[in-house]
Amino acid sequence: MTALILDIITSAAILFAVASGLLIILGVLKIVNFAHGGFLTMGGYSALVVTRLGWNAWLAYPAAALSGVLMGAVIERFIIRPLYDRPLDAILATWGLGIIIGQLITIAFGREIQFVQVPITGATNVLGETYSLYRLFLILAAAVVAGSIAALLNATRLGLEARAVIMNEPLARGLGINSGQVRFTTFCIGAGLASLAGALITPLSSVDPNMGVPWLVNAFMLVLVSSVSLASLATAALTLGGAQVLVSTFISPVIGGLTIVVLAALLLRIRPAGFGNG
Amino acid sequence: MAVLAGPYVLDAYTINILVRSFLYAATALTVDILWGYTGILTFGQAAFFGIGAYAAGIAFTYMDFSSQTAVLALVAGLAVSAVVAGVTGWISFFHGASPLYVAIVTLALPIIFVQILYSGGTFTGSSSGLVGYNTFDLSVEAWFTICGVGLVVLTMAAWFFVNSDFGRVLVGIRENEQRCTYLGINAPRLKILLMVIMAMIASVAGYAYAGYTVVVAPEIGSFVFGTELVMWVALGGRGTLIGPVLGTIAIDLISAYLSGNLPFVWKLIIGSIFVLVIVALPQGIIPVLKTGLLRLWSVATGRNAAPSIAVPALIEAPERPRAGTGSDAPALNVVDLACSYGSLKVLEGVTFKALGSELLGIIGPNGAGKTTLMRCLSDGYERTGGTVAVFGHAIARTPPQRVVGFGIGRSFQTTSLFETLRVAECLRLARYRLDGTRVLSHATTLALSDSARRVITATGLDRQLAIECRHLSHGMKRALELAMVLALEPSVLLLDEPTAGLTKPERTLIGSILIDLVRREGLCTLIIEHDLDFVREISTRVIVLHQGKVLLNGSVAEVVSSELVRTIYAGGAHREPAP
Repeated sequence: MTALILDIITSAAILFAVASGLLIILGVLKIVNFAHGGFLTMGGYSALVVTRLGWNAWLAYPAAALSGVLMGAVIERFIIRPLYDRPLDAILATWGLGIIIGQLITIAFGREIQFVQVPITGATNVLGETYSLYRLFLILAAAVVAGSIAALLNATRLGLEARAVIMNEPLARGLGINSGQVRFTTFCIGAGLASLAGALITPLSSVDPNMGVPWLVNAFMLVLVSSVSLASLATAALTLGGAQVLVSTFISPVIGGLTIVVLAALLLRIRPAGFGNG
Repeated sequence: MAVLAGPYVLDAYTINILVRSFLYAATALTVDILWGYTGILTFGQAAFFGIGAYAAGIAFTYMDFSSQTAVLALVAGLAVSAVVAGVTGWISFFHGASPLYVAIVTLALPIIFVQILYSGGTFTGSSSGLVGYNTFDLSVEAWFTICGVGLVVLTMAAWFFVNSDFGRVLVGIRENEQRCTYLGINAPRLKILLMVIMAMIASVAGYAYAGYTVVVAPEIGSFVFGTELVMWVALGGRGTLIGPVLGTIAIDLISAYLSGNLPFVWKLIIGSIFVLVIVALPQGIIPVLKTGLLRLWSVATGRNAAPSIAVPALIEAPERPRAGTGSDAPALNVVDLACSYGSLKVLEGVTFKALGSELLGIIGPNGAGKTTLMRCLSDGYERTGGTVAVFGHAIARTPPQRVVGFGIGRSFQTTSLFETLRVAECLRLARYRLDGTRVLSHATTLALSDSARRVITATGLDRQLAIECRHLSHGMKRALELAMVLALEPSVLLLDEPTAGLTKPERTLIGSILIDLVRREGLCTLIIEHDLDFVREISTRVIVLHQGKVLLNGSVAEVVSSELVRTIYAGGAHREPAP
């Protein structure tokens, strides 16, 4: 029982970390970033590079975040910016980017599955159950991610401007907010978060050029049902992630893999606002 | 011709690959109709291709090949595809659904399909699929001819389909779905129907693929294939039919030759070209080549290659009883209508009746809730409280396309037209609810109600029927907007500032047409106006809205002489009375 509850909480934490980058990009730029899977993969391979260089395993996380931010900066400037007025085309372009990232990684590292050094190993005793320390660490990591985004949104000038752009972009522009700058910074941060999440999931998911794809659709669904709100995303990750764990445990892992997609699609059909208000 | 000659001039390897390319191209064609013409971005056609293929693979593996099983497998594939597409459409298309949503749902579809194949174990062959079953006893050349001819026929049928009057309805949905629903077009249902038909075509292509290659594997129903289809369509040229077909064949053929030597680099190149095309040439490569060739042609021959456009003849629509004719109930009965967004109350306790032959002016300062009132009357989902009844029928919670059926026609404050459709096509869209449409051809006549024709002839729109809406002047657009609403033959007409931005003569003209309509045809008309003089000239009664409430409801004389109205409009509502 304890193990099941811990599974639910840690799965929700992972899903939250994976989807948060997508959420803030959707909120501010109003585009669905299909390159998200590519960024996740890039984060995984950043961790691999750190392992190969023999650096401290903890360095994988800043390295992944940094590579994501840099990649995000280049992509926003040259690909996303010309497509502001064409959101459906932006989907396709980011999809193409995902392919490019995947192929570049394949050329550089090969197609085979790789393994990455983990900073925390072993297990600990939680209420009489032995449980993986790394999975417990992921709860902390997700909390740090959530806390940082919330702090950024609520306590900084950029956050204030980002919230203004989320609510009403033309008005924000009229008030002198440089919405282009806000979009640029948000995309970089979103890409960095995605890449960081990619490094965080490496011990759970194998590192291969397509590792981002299975996470991509689940992350989309979670973001769509959470109406661009961090709190709703946490609720969605906990509810739908929990359902996924329960179905995987008691029915079948294959059906469990589809739980989030199917439940989210049905939820949106019945209640288009999903977990959000209104 | 090329299809028939192919087997004699091409080498065996190329023919072998081309059969596959033809089937992919047929599937890409369905993506083009869904996405390029109707604006439904779909990644799901791969799943339907896969369903058709697995229907054949499973049937031939477990029931052996015979003409009966061949037919059975085909029918089973079609049936499953149709049902799955119907459910997908039901999930994706509803009143108010975002166009992004269908992209995500159809992306999930192939992923679910592949997971089901994996969990099928040995029955579906799991990740390695099914191979080596008995199949049609046909030579590669025969397959080439069958698939090639099939593709040509399909492309031609698709050409007639998208260029028909019905094809224009699809473009209308792409350009402005909201406006379509207010013209009484059930856009969600049409999209679901289209999705089902395209799914069935993709399923037949998949069936042929399984029969030809004698291999079915999860890859053919995977989302990677689904996204490749979209890429081929984008590269070839969305919304052109021939572009996606040629694009698919060319890319698949080159892939077959190059991917053996440079598998990853080739994918990288395709990905890069794809991103470049999306950013720089959104209409695709083939249309750019075509424009270039046409320009060369007109330079070389000195003739203009632009095709001439046939304009339908305007005829009189047959008399038919309007909705609510003979009913004793008031044309419009609004009781305690409320509309709020969270704590913001835009309308509150709005109650009034309107009868046939009444021209009701609705006035009030900006933000009084006038346009919201129009929305609540024409869309059953908008209001948060109260009832609206049209000739005694409550509109309940029904989407705009149903409300149109009750007899309500609404025009918009900001001109809401179909940018790339021609004037005649816009009018035909407005007639879709009453006259239906042709699926494979054009009608040569366009029947319009008397009032709509008068607006068109009086404003000179009848000489501009072949012009695309975006090239019309503002006044012409307003006139077309009005003509479209009148073409719906409504019993209750809701006009939201129909004369905004028009010149004085244009206003007078529209005013006289409206008065005439109300007198002769007994239409109940609600008109929002800011110009009090205009309202005074044409209205039979006036309702004053202020801060979401009905402030006054009376004759023109009463309202005009009202002190209250004057203070609201003069902005002196908060002035203390003189001591």
